[in-house]
Amino acid sequence: MARYLTQRLAASLATALLASVIVFALVRSVPGDVVAQMLGQTSDPTAERSLREFFGLDQPAYRQYLTWLTNVLSGNLGTSWTRGQPVAQLITSALLVTLQLGLMTLIVATATGVPLGLVAGIYEGRLLDKIIQSFSLLGLAAPVFWVGLMLLVGVSSLAGWSPPLLYVPPSASIADNLAILVLPIASLGLLQAAAYAQFVRQSVVSAFHQDYVRTAIAKGVPLRLVFFKHVLRNIGIPLVTFMGLILIQILGGAVIIESVFALPGLGRLLLTSIETRDYPVLQGALLIVVVIAMAVNLTVDLLYRVIDPRVRLT
Amino acid sequence: MAVTQTVPASAQPGIGVGHRLLRDPEMAIGVALLAIVTVVAIVPGLLAPQSPLAISVDQALEPPSAAHLFGTDDVGRDVFARVVHGARVTLSICAGALVLSALAGGGLGLISGFFGGAIDMVLGRIVDVILSFPPVILGIMVTGILGPKTANLVFALATVYMPVFFRIARSGALSEVGQTYVEAARSIGLSEGVILYRHVLRNVLPLILVQYVILFPLVLQIEGALGFLGLGVQPPTPDWGAILQQSKDYILLAPWMSAFPGFAILWTALGLMLVGRSLQRRLDRR
Repeated sequence: MARYLTQRLAASLATALLASVIVFALVRSVPGDVVAQMLGQTSDPTAERSLREFFGLDQPAYRQYLTWLTNVLSGNLGTSWTRGQPVAQLITSALLVTLQLGLMTLIVATATGVPLGLVAGIYEGRLLDKIIQSFSLLGLAAPVFWVGLMLLVGVSSLAGWSPPLLYVPPSASIADNLAILVLPIASLGLLQAAAYAQFVRQSVVSAFHQDYVRTAIAKGVPLRLVFFKHVLRNIGIPLVTFMGLILIQILGGAVIIESVFALPGLGRLLLTSIETRDYPVLQGALLIVVVIAMAVNLTVDLLYRVIDPRVRLT
Repeated sequence: MAVTQTVPASAQPGIGVGHRLLRDPEMAIGVALLAIVTVVAIVPGLLAPQSPLAISVDQALEPPSAAHLFGTDDVGRDVFARVVHGARVTLSICAGALVLSALAGGGLGLISGFFGGAIDMVLGRIVDVILSFPPVILGIMVTGILGPKTANLVFALATVYMPVFFRIARSGALSEVGQTYVEAARSIGLSEGVILYRHVLRNVLPLILVQYVILFPLVLQIEGALGFLGLGVQPPTPDWGAILQQSKDYILLAPWMSAFPGFAILWTALGLMLVGRSLQRRLDRR
């Protein structure tokens, strides 16, 4: 286990490093940096030179990268070029918004999608299964930001209510915070609940077709017992993997839904840092995204080994 | 499995592959949905004679009516015409990007699996890096940094799902390399290229084609999202995602501006998903 963990960590670290090199090269490969944006139409060579020097942009790219990397490894993500705030601080406050949205969505989606999938799987081929499957297909086909927009229209025209326009952190007012988040969670949750329902249904159906389940049914074990003892237990393991996948998808979806509801999360931070060519923020935010995604994947793999002894042997 | 079925469908005279496929209701519905979209994309002028670009400010923000089926937008353009003409733009971008993705991913995967060694190592690491980003964020990164141009959009979309094709082709090639027939082909002096092309590719191709259909709705969604964020096709070109981006500010005032282009994405994605699922089931059964 320890050896496996070291191997995986080393591989993840190598990938993250390579990803950071690519991001670094990509942002510097396009014309127009932060200095050009700051100076606008005016062309003052001395000001331009001193600004470039100030941001370290006069150095060769590999130097800039090594400086950045050394700082990151010592825990310093740098300072925003356009806002003057520490990057770590900007990312933390944005990440809190996205994580709250993401985790609450995960809870809502799991709580609705898994039961729907179980029911559909148990009633395979019957009307209830078909209804749930249709819902699930529609949820997967609908673009998430469009669902958000339509929910906004629906709620405001039917109930005459629309969420507050300015974000309120939960520390200020939990009620206001939830009022802002309810529609983003609903739209993002619908999609992920649909994905869950599909996956769980498929797992239940294939578990019911396993030989040992057939044997159990044939020898007269009550169906309820078969379901809880054999079927449910065996879908738990793939479900853990799937949950990790969902969490990463939620992270991506959150970035889009944030722009529908003007939430100051990671998505907005990414988009504004791209617009203003604020390299330290952009590099930091992308690094965090990659690290989170990797951490989720690694956790899932480890959990998998803990839950399923068969995997440990290989 | 129905026991009563005595004559396999393939043996019945006059029933071709198409007919057998359409017996699956999901496939039939999916094909029907996609047939409509395809016609719209090929001959948009037939359905919507109005220009998708014609501005008439005195008719701005009109709700759906007989004259304007889907209403008009903030500068009085016909939303129906924009959605109908947008089909070709949106779908050709997605289809093209996915072809690129399949060619690059599939090609590199075959090479990686077939030759192994250092090539496999390097390509594998690059794919790992691409996979380390959530798809949407990778799309935002590439289009955002390189700039919102259609070429960059296609490149971004092609990159996002390249690893999927890569892995399928690679594992397909790996499992074929050890087969006796490849050994036999080698022993009679066929070159590696010929073996790769004639034998390995032929076995991997069906998997790649099915994956193309399965990934298409996902690409469509990302294309829409990037357009919605202003990182995709730029105005005034009608593209479903871009129309949604321009409609965002009028969402409560003129919801029809957003409702129809989004529904077009839903419709197309649903059709593709139904066909993809049906194809996947057939492939699994083999």
